Amino acid sequence: MADLLVAEELEKVYGEGEAATYALKGVSFTLEQGEFASIIGQSGSGKSTLLNMIGLLDTPTSGQVLFDGENTTALGRKGRARVRNEGLGFVFQFHYLLPEFSVWENLTMPAQIAGRAITADAKRRALDTLALLGLDGLENKNANQLSGGQKQRVAIGRALMNRPKLILADEPTGNLDTANTAVVYELFRTINKELGTTFLIVTHDRKVAQQTDRILEVLDGELVQDVRNDYAR
Amino acid sequence: MLSFRIAARFLKSSPGQSALIIAGIAVGIATQIFVGSLITSLQDDLIDSAVGSSPHITLTAADDDATVSGELAAAAAKDEPLISTAVPVRTLSAIFSSGEDSVPLSITGADAAGLDTIYKLSDRLVSGAYRLGEGEALVGAIFADKYGVAEGDTLELLLPSGSIAELEVSGVFDLGQATANERVVFIDAGSAAEALGLADDEYTAVQIQLSDVFASAEVAERLASDNDVEATEWQAENEQLLSGLSAQSGSSTMIQAFVLIAVALGIASTLAISAVQKTRQIGILKAIGMGDAAAGRIFLWQAALLGAGGTLGGIALGYGLIALFGLVPVPFSIRPEPSFIALSAAIGMTVALLSSVIPARSTSRLDPIEVIQNG
Ligand SMILES: Nc1ncnc2c1ncn2[C@@H]1O[C@H](COP(=O)(O)OP(=O)(O)OP(=O)(O)O)[C@@H](O)[C@H]1O
Ligand SMILES: [Mg+2]
Repeated sequence: MADLLVAEELEKVYGEGEAATYALKGVSFTLEQGEFASIIGQSGSGKSTLLNMIGLLDTPTSGQVLFDGENTTALGRKGRARVRNEGLGFVFQFHYLLPEFSVWENLTMPAQIAGRAITADAKRRALDTLALLGLDGLENKNANQLSGGQKQRVAIGRALMNRPKLILADEPTGNLDTANTAVVYELFRTINKELGTTFLIVTHDRKVAQQTDRILEVLDGELVQDVRNDYAR
Repeated sequence: MLSFRIAARFLKSSPGQSALIIAGIAVGIATQIFVGSLITSLQDDLIDSAVGSSPHITLTAADDDATVSGELAAAAAKDEPLISTAVPVRTLSAIFSSGEDSVPLSITGADAAGLDTIYKLSDRLVSGAYRLGEGEALVGAIFADKYGVAEGDTLELLLPSGSIAELEVSGVFDLGQATANERVVFIDAGSAAEALGLADDEYTAVQIQLSDVFASAEVAERLASDNDVEATEWQAENEQLLSGLSAQSGSSTMIQAFVLIAVALGIASTLAISAVQKTRQIGILKAIGMGDAAAGRIFLWQAALLGAGGTLGGIALGYGLIALFGLVPVPFSIRPEPSFIALSAAIGMTVALLSSVIPARSTSRLDPIEVIQNG
């Protein structure tokens, strides 16, 4: 399959001189379209930093990120915003919903940002997504009237709505109980299989990583292991 | 327009804060409208009582003893579109004797209809009728009071020629000025011609009123050079009044400016607070792909909405204050001018938009990572 994401010698240094922290020390790897991969590593090893570089939320000190054949490091703020909107979906440990808006408005926000009209097709897709997430009937509720698990599922729905090629998740179930955690990963799997969406999930939980097809391990800012995990399939 | 919808939602989500700032803008704009209209109307009233019923420009012959013709009035009115009325008159002085007192009077003779266009005498009669037939005279209220002269009485005046003129008082007027009410007498054109020994088409002066009283200096200058006559205008003779008025306008402008500055600071600080409160939301929106410009526009729209709400409220409140002022017993009423209200509204909107520049800028510069990393 085609390369969807190529990370080349990614370095990230926070601060300068004596106070400098080398969060990433030259990380390179490639993700193919349709992969279901995880990043594991200890706290402070650089997982979030790596994910934020790949997600174009932050810029690397050196190295580059190629996404879908495009060198994103060369893009300006506007171009990066466009790639984030159209090509990527984010799920964080915290839901990051907009509390002033309803579930439906949060869900359709990426499409609205892209300036797309909510077509009948998009509407059905949103309703399907809500059903898939077990959120039917909640579309008119305000985002901050939901439970923690519901909010997280809405955030996942929002990440899916633009049908991005790559979904980046940073501890997506960190705030959820076991039952909800299982639901979320099942959902990720379903989407991965049915839509061919590529997933890259950061977790510090080996048991969670075991359920993915490929495990990347980060240690002190370096990629120390990259294994295929055939048990998961 | 997504930025607009988000701006409206942000404002709606903190109704108390939005209402407060709208009220603040409204009070500022209302104050500006009220103070501005009050001063303008007050000045209009002052100017009206100063020159509303007296000539703005008086034309006399360049040569002291010469006279002007009635043609001059017609020609001037034709040449200068600002002239609303031009009346040929015959002025003279005379002395009225009452017991030991001898009172110098200033007499203006002209036809009744022409005089009325300048002095509005028919509206200002205290008693009698507005009529200037042959040998009839109109006298001022103070004069009438002081010397016991009333309608129907005969007035004996000593003319400069040494002869005595006998006139019958047809009415008593009140021009609103003490000097005029004591010393001015109007008589018919024929009697004045006779008293001065002038022919039918000989006049001593042409009295003029303008539609724009402040154009008097330039119009006077043009009339003087075009017609080779002497032109005196009211502004040259009322410098004190004018400097008083301009000082008043100056302080009114200053009050309005300070009120607007206070409004601007109010909006700016509210928006700055709102920008900080919404940093998280802006970061999220940017993370899911909103551009810097669109994010900045959210605060521009918030300012526009607050400005529009505040300005509309301010106009309503301003009119309310003006209506309330109508209940106060003062000799003039405030007439708000639509153009001034429009200007206030434009200033209100501009101030609101300008005060959104800083929060809009800081918003457009925000990096999504700042929010995502700090939870
Ligand atoms: N903004 C920052 N400024 C300075 N240092 C930073 C910053 N962000 C991260 N770091 C440092 O970079 C290193 C990697 O941080 P990162 O957040 O990527 O770790 P992580 O693997 O995601 O950890 P966790 O599992 O706890 O989330 C850490 O040493 C951290 O202190
Ligand atoms: Mg992390």
